[in-house]
Amino acid sequence: MKSNRKGRVNAKTKAVIALCILCVLTVVCGVLGVTGMPLDSRGLYKLLPWLPTTNADAWPSTLPLGLDLRGGVYVEYSAARPENSEASFDSLIEGTITVIQNRLTDRGYAESTVQRIGGDGIRVEIPDVTDPNAILDLIGTPAKLEFRDPTGEAFMDGSMVQLAGVALQEGEYVIQFQLNDEGAAIFAEKTAEFLGRNIAIYLDDAVLVDATVQSVISQGSGIINGMGSLERAQTVAAQIQSGALPLVLTQQKVDTVSATLGDDALSSSVLAAIIGILLIMVVMIVRYRLNGIVASWALVIYIILLFFLIAVIPGIQLTLPGLAGIVLGIGMAVDANVIIYERFNEEVRSGRPLKASVRAGFKNAMSAILDANVTTLIASIVLMYFGTGSIQGFAKTLLLGVITSMFTAIIVTRFLMKQIVALNNWDVKLFTSGVQTRKEEQ
Amino acid sequence: MTIKNHAKTCLIISGGILLLAILLSIVGLGVNLGLDFTGGLSMQYALGADASQSDVEAVLNGMNVGEYTVTVQGANHDEVNIRLAAIDQDGVQAVQEGFEAGIVEKYPDAVSIGDVNYVGPVAGATLLKNAFMSVLLASVLMLIYIAFRFDFNSGLAAVLGLIHDVLMMLAFMVILRSFVQMNSSFIAAMLTIVGYSINNTIVIFDRIRENARKMSGNLPREEVVNRSIKECLGRTINTTLTTLITIVALYVLGVASIKEFALPIIIGIVSGVYSANMINGYVWAFLEERKRKNGGKLLKAKKA
Repeated sequence: MKSNRKGRVNAKTKAVIALCILCVLTVVCGVLGVTGMPLDSRGLYKLLPWLPTTNADAWPSTLPLGLDLRGGVYVEYSAARPENSEASFDSLIEGTITVIQNRLTDRGYAESTVQRIGGDGIRVEIPDVTDPNAILDLIGTPAKLEFRDPTGEAFMDGSMVQLAGVALQEGEYVIQFQLNDEGAAIFAEKTAEFLGRNIAIYLDDAVLVDATVQSVISQGSGIINGMGSLERAQTVAAQIQSGALPLVLTQQKVDTVSATLGDDALSSSVLAAIIGILLIMVVMIVRYRLNGIVASWALVIYIILLFFLIAVIPGIQLTLPGLAGIVLGIGMAVDANVIIYERFNEEVRSGRPLKASVRAGFKNAMSAILDANVTTLIASIVLMYFGTGSIQGFAKTLLLGVITSMFTAIIVTRFLMKQIVALNNWDVKLFTSGVQTRKEEQ
Repeated sequence: MTIKNHAKTCLIISGGILLLAILLSIVGLGVNLGLDFTGGLSMQYALGADASQSDVEAVLNGMNVGEYTVTVQGANHDEVNIRLAAIDQDGVQAVQEGFEAGIVEKYPDAVSIGDVNYVGPVAGATLLKNAFMSVLLASVLMLIYIAFRFDFNSGLAAVLGLIHDVLMMLAFMVILRSFVQMNSSFIAAMLTIVGYSINNTIVIFDRIRENARKMSGNLPREEVVNRSIKECLGRTINTTLTTLITIVALYVLGVASIKEFALPIIIGIVSGVYSANMINGYVWAFLEERKRKNGGKLLKAKKA
């Protein structure tokens, strides 16, 4: 009897300590999430904030925003398959993507992304653009192709190239080119002047080929070797010939978004989330009392954790539908809590002690929670596969939200409930209404 | 509180809503398709002075751009929204530059505001195809998952419920056409509902599975369903409430493109609760009873 009571006191102390630690941890993480913290006295290393507030101007830099919230240009092109081209379509697309990316990077749009979509599509995303038209022109216009001598002086441009193709010579892929008469004359003079030295071909001021002149080219036709793979030779040849993008592109979709629109969307979504969370907490506490407090606590941990994951996992961008996905996910996250509490209440009403009810409640609720979450996971994975752009952002946040909510609803909630039940000999009325305990029945 | 089988009445109500939507579509009042689906170019300009529709139209006529619509908007009646059905090979910037060159002659202060969106004719068709494929793929995957975790009839009943919910979302997009446009975010909304509204069905089916084990096998399946729905009612109400709270907050406070996403989700959630509690379980009961009868016959045939 004595040891029994001692065990109980121990369990109680343990529960108090555990709850205090978790409470401090939650508050500290929540505050750090909003403010961030310098990690050394000079402020070189910093823990950056990761929780958003309604102030869109102070949006944490750790949460990357998609184009629709940040402002910028989004373009989808489709590439026409060239008729009777030697090069494979795949390598031409890759070449086109490289050229576009180089052009954008050269002009200071280092954060722009150029990606292939589907078979023949190219997607270009350029954030923080002030003049969208200039950018569209930049992508579409032919590049500047120049031949330069060893001193860096340009002596010929791309208009003098008639033909460039790939040939196989002595087991090596080489680029064969043919110049027009004017070009042939210039080239003959220059190759004689720089025999044994290097002549380079520049595309948009970036070196495309840098080759040593091995013989005087007087007839206007020559070869460039040292290309390595067939793919590279084909791409470079296509670039030399067109002096531009290896493929002809057609705009399929153009979105230019102003940043002010994004600011409004950000602050209103965060406000909606905060109001939603507070209302959910009220509903949960009114309906489930002490358990409602547990659910609210778990929800706070869910938010801190979810945004932390979005901040640290690379490749997740918050888009407008993505924000909506998070707000929706908050509502869905408490679903697992509701299922557990309803089961718990059933057990309590049937007269089981609280501790056993926690165990049975979780056990009975688990299959429904698992099945319900797996189906949502299936939907978000399908969406990730089929969706493009901002929809993919939504699918990613939804997926992350489902996984995080499983963790907080099951692990965190169970931990909290166990500690709280161990804390005191609670009156069951603090957990649920309409209880008829065995004593009353008798 | 007693739960009864009203599945037939409910199916008639849903059928009626669907019929109304189909009739509206036939008379030309179908879904209000946005730029993402129809294709075309949309741009906004602040003209800096009281806007006259005919002035803007005169500029567009001079550019030979084909079909267009011009809407004058803004509190001071000084903004215009222009939508073109198609643009030529020169691309978006050529149209914009051409328009800007023309409009500054009449409105020297005209500036582009807000978004410029262009969607090519192929992109809209691809989007539609992707939408259809993604709902189909998600439904098939869920049918397989539920058939594996529960039984085939549960999977069938749940997926029929999903199709019901998606059809209701589409029907209300027709009925509410003057409030909401359908754009690519509708696809995300549809898939969200496919993934989410099935939760209600699953929680109820989970209870049915449990009760079917506990209760006598001779009891009509409908009774099992009635009892399971009743036992889940507390959870159903609370979960629906919490989810609706956040999404309604988003709808009320959100910007236009968020509203475009939130409204179909609200419709889908309501429809999902409705089908999970009023229809899906009874479809399962119906399928089970039929299987039982057929099974009985087979057994007799073997004996004879």
